[in-house]
Amino acid sequence: MALFDSTINLEQTHYTEGYDEGHKDGQIAGKEEGREVGLKTGFEVGEELGFYKGCVDVWNSAIRVDPNCFSSRVKLGIKQMKELLEKYPIMDPENLQVQEIMDSLRLKFKMVCSSLHVRLEYDGYPKSSADTHDIEF
Amino acid sequence: MESFEGNIELREIQRLEGHTDRVWSLAWNPATGHAGIPLSFASCSGDKTVRIWEQNLTSGLWNCKAVLEETHTRTVRSCAWSPSGKLLATASFDATTAIWENVGGDFDCVSTLEGHENEVKGVSWNASGSLLATCGRDKSVWIWEVQPGNEFECVSVLQGHTQDVKMVQWHPTVDILFSCSYDNNVKVWADEGDSDDWQCVQTLGEPNNGHTSTVWALSFNARGDKMVTCSDDLTLKVWETDNTVMQSGDGFAPWRHVCSLSGYHDRTIFSVHWSREGIIASGAADDAIRLFVESNENSADGSRYKLLLKKEKAHDMDVNSVQWSPGEKRLLASASDDGTIKVWELVSPSQC
Repeated sequence: MALFDSTINLEQTHYTEGYDEGHKDGQIAGKEEGREVGLKTGFEVGEELGFYKGCVDVWNSAIRVDPNCFSSRVKLGIKQMKELLEKYPIMDPENLQVQEIMDSLRLKFKMVCSSLHVRLEYDGYPKSSADTHDIEF
Repeated sequence: MESFEGNIELREIQRLEGHTDRVWSLAWNPATGHAGIPLSFASCSGDKTVRIWEQNLTSGLWNCKAVLEETHTRTVRSCAWSPSGKLLATASFDATTAIWENVGGDFDCVSTLEGHENEVKGVSWNASGSLLATCGRDKSVWIWEVQPGNEFECVSVLQGHTQDVKMVQWHPTVDILFSCSYDNNVKVWADEGDSDDWQCVQTLGEPNNGHTSTVWALSFNARGDKMVTCSDDLTLKVWETDNTVMQSGDGFAPWRHVCSLSGYHDRTIFSVHWSREGIIASGAADDAIRLFVESNENSADGSRYKLLLKKEKAHDMDVNSVQWSPGEKRLLASASDDGTIKVWELVSPSQC
């Protein structure tokens, strides 16, 4: 019966070979894809944080020149943004705080901009809700 | 409260035309209707304009006194007068809220509040006129503080609703804010700590006998210890709180469900307004206006409110807003998708 062993196992052998080959290719392709997504997401996060940091730096420079140029509420908002930026774990993207801090930053930024009557944006600035063309009521 | 028995009637006083698109909302100027000042209200529309209507003291008829245009670039969804009647706030789908100053019957846009990402749907002044709240499609509620020189500064952005926020309304005496949403919830917001620390202190939703579909509007009784909400779930719900605790300022007095008025509406209820003398008016998608009063006998559904009257075909299309007037007379104004506004008077046979 040993003669037929390899025949009986033929299906299993093909399956195993195919699985191994696919797994190997998948690892390479997946790593490549992950790298691309990581680069894209990392760039987007970095761009947004850098944008906020730039705004906060300019506002703080303005405050140093004239401490009364903004209301106390606006100054508090800018201070809170600075603290959030310092707290953001840039080197630890899997940290669970990441989203929470980014949400707070976006909120404070909106409030400060609203009080200063400015609209600051850059190409690719995230809009929380995509504009759909449904009927409004 | 006197009882409303017999053949009480909602009589149409006048049908007001002028808007060229659906009329979304109405607001009576609270500083009018007494001391010889003629009654006045504002209406806002899909035609991007706001109209100011005033009653002629001699003829009793209503005229359009002003058209506020060329400011909003999309539908004006909601409007609200400051308690002094000097300022009118208008919320628009163009993502802005405009503040208009009333200078001897002329209206100048003195400030534009920007901050919402997209459509602004509701606006409300607090009792003292020092704070303004707005809400909209971006699911957020903004609180603004009135500063000298018609400046408005954002105090807080409240996030908690998971969908479109349809309406915001301040409590009539205490600085507590209420918001209602497409997420079926009513949320209660209060300044918890030192300053600017606005938090959601209560959510009235399905688990606590709340609505099971979009909540469109809410209104308070004269004492401010009861609230009525209306919904796409075809019910009105009445809520109450402990007035003593609330007025004392010692902590938050939670709201609890009193009863649901179901079986009266068969289409979405868009608007509800509680009159000073206790009559609840509702405006719905079936083109009708209904009036309810508290009753001593328990009705079949266990609610303590009964239908006083139903005005069928009040409008040719959906009734978007119903608002009772200030002043002596029992006047009700209604706004509709048919582009018209109607002024009604509640009369009993003895007055005829």
